[in-house]
Amino acid sequence: MGIVTRAVRNISRRKMRALLVIIALGFSMAIMISIPAGITANQESTLGLTENLGNTISQTQATINQTLTQIDCTLSSSMEGFGFAPPDMGNSSSMFPGGGGAGGSGFTPGQFGNGTGRPGEFGGGAFGSGGTTAMNESLYLDLSSVEGVAAVSPSLQVSEGTNQTVEMMGRSFTRLVPDYVIEGISVTSELVGNYPVLPTNIIAGRNLQAGDSGVVLLSENNTAFFDAEVGDTIEILDESFEVIGVYGSSGIEDATTLYMNLSDAQALTSNIGYITTVTVFAENSNEVTEVASAISTLHPELSVTTGQQRLEQLESLQESYETALASAEATLAQTQSVAFQEIIVAVAATSLIVLFVMLYTVRERTKEIGTLKAIGFSNWTVMSQFMLEGVLLSLIAGVVGIAIASIAAPTLSGLLLPTASQFGSAGTFSLAATSTSSISIALTPELVLIALGAAVLLGTLGSLYPAWRASRTRPAEAMRYE
Amino acid sequence: MSEIVMKLENLSKNYTLGKRSVQALSNLNLQVNKGDFVAIMGPSGSGKTTLLNVLGCLDKPTDGKVLLDGVDISKLPEKELCKIRRRKLGFVFQTFNLLPYLNARENVELPMEGTGLSRSERSRRAKELLQIVNLSGREEHRPHRLSAGEQQRVAIARALANNPAIILADEPTGNVDAKNKREIVTLLANLNLKQETTIIIVTHDGQVAAHTERVLLLKDGKILKEKQGLHSAKKKLMCPHCGSKIQINDTICPSCQKALNTGGEKIVGT
Repeated sequence: MGIVTRAVRNISRRKMRALLVIIALGFSMAIMISIPAGITANQESTLGLTENLGNTISQTQATINQTLTQIDCTLSSSMEGFGFAPPDMGNSSSMFPGGGGAGGSGFTPGQFGNGTGRPGEFGGGAFGSGGTTAMNESLYLDLSSVEGVAAVSPSLQVSEGTNQTVEMMGRSFTRLVPDYVIEGISVTSELVGNYPVLPTNIIAGRNLQAGDSGVVLLSENNTAFFDAEVGDTIEILDESFEVIGVYGSSGIEDATTLYMNLSDAQALTSNIGYITTVTVFAENSNEVTEVASAISTLHPELSVTTGQQRLEQLESLQESYETALASAEATLAQTQSVAFQEIIVAVAATSLIVLFVMLYTVRERTKEIGTLKAIGFSNWTVMSQFMLEGVLLSLIAGVVGIAIASIAAPTLSGLLLPTASQFGSAGTFSLAATSTSSISIALTPELVLIALGAAVLLGTLGSLYPAWRASRTRPAEAMRYE
Repeated sequence: MSEIVMKLENLSKNYTLGKRSVQALSNLNLQVNKGDFVAIMGPSGSGKTTLLNVLGCLDKPTDGKVLLDGVDISKLPEKELCKIRRRKLGFVFQTFNLLPYLNARENVELPMEGTGLSRSERSRRAKELLQIVNLSGREEHRPHRLSAGEQQRVAIARALANNPAIILADEPTGNVDAKNKREIVTLLANLNLKQETTIIIVTHDGQVAAHTERVLLLKDGKILKEKQGLHSAKKKLMCPHCGSKIQINDTICPSCQKALNTGGEKIVGT
């Protein structure tokens, strides 16, 4: 008959009381477990958000820095006559976003220069009125020799989609609903390595590299459209391409743009030797205006725009990211503060329950204490006996608490922790971090161990005074107690 | 000369009840020898239980000395007193004071905890002791399934667990019927006779006291007088009525045919 057996028997002696105490303690413990679990989930979520936003901010910052030197050159629509025949708008059309027209199915190979010339000849390009106009690549090789130009990146952008006929003001229009946009990039090591010609947020596989051919980099939206993932082979305009990577859109790139080698894009869309944009990178951000001016002088047919407007957009985007991040962190801090107070209350409640129960038990068993001392039990043994009972009671309650928490932790933390709406909106970004009901709250083994440790500690603290009082009881007085 | 196991010198014990001080024991002197069977009698409030508590190291005197085997226990710390209670003393209470959540055997084993005996040794000894008190077969019964007399016998077995030199019993027959009272007194008397265990009992019952060896009459915290009980006759194996030789188990004197085990009124001399 050991001390542990006696403690267990004593607890089971008053079953209903023990049950009620264990339930009360169990709920208290469940609250103690659920709140940190909720907070951990919040922290993880906020950390994820912080990490994402941090990455986006640094990417945006990098893009901003690079954009500072970027000059986009496209053929001005007013300059279509400059060696470029206007498209035959009869039945075929250019199929770029924003481009009007009717018939056709995208920028189909062979349509280019329909009836009026062959591909590669001026006057054959039909890239859409109001959209991007095709340019002969060879005519702009001299841009790299303009003073202050660090690099020139020619690119070809062709939309592919399905035609949709819409009635408007009694007239029938056919417009292209783009499924995806093919962007051919000159993937030289100089450009890919040093300039923002490709998306940076690669979420699977790898980015395009110098020398890549027959491969594509898809956006997340593209993967859904093509039902493909990294390593798969997809058909684009009846040609096979291997998916080498997937990028996540940061809001800067078109979410349906897929990237490939320029020459692949040119061959695929039957536009060999043609491009839609020349992106020029100045050596220095201070010289952008001068370089843009020099380009305009050299090629008056080009519409030259610097990255100023884009820069403003990016800065605005970054600002909103930072606001969201600050808001998320502030909300988490407030949640933690509330959680801390609640845990203190739960800890105090648990300790007090143990304290009162054990005080009552000691009082109830005064005569037994006297008997134990009369038959030779030391103060320490008596104290150990009562402390063990308190600890055991708390430990059982701890297990019950863990069981309750494993079922009801999301509900409990949802009830006890403040939600985002209580702290105001976090802006345009969804702050899942502040809404525990939407977070999966997991009871980690560490948390379970901590909970059991807390149960033992609180049981010890709560029963310390009653047990000490029991041990100090003078046997003669205890024997007289009825 | 008999060996002195317990000696009280000028013992006083005062209680404070509210603002009032009550003297429970007053300048009391007593000597108990090894193998004595002593009854302490007296009216309520005379200090019987207080005296027993002081003798049993459950309470400390206000003044005077309590010498147990020559050691003044009144000055010893609680840690030493609990060792003395465990090794040298055995207690029997009026209300038995068995732990309700332990069975008879476990209750008897309780004082043996921490004495170095293994679990099986403790269990074996507990069973032996329960056999001595005629409770074989009831070892696994919890107190609520035992009669009052049986519970008191379990308590006596528990008191004997560590083979104490002295058994202190506070009204051991107070809560039992006449049949059990006789059995308990006989049990204590036999322990005293066979094992030479010193027994000190507090009782209101003259019949019980008559079966002891020395009867101390206590009043107002003082020993008023001391009488000799029937037990001394048994010890001497001599009829107290006619002086003829008797056997230890005799209930009637073979010579004068007078009862040897009845009535406190037959207390002889002082």
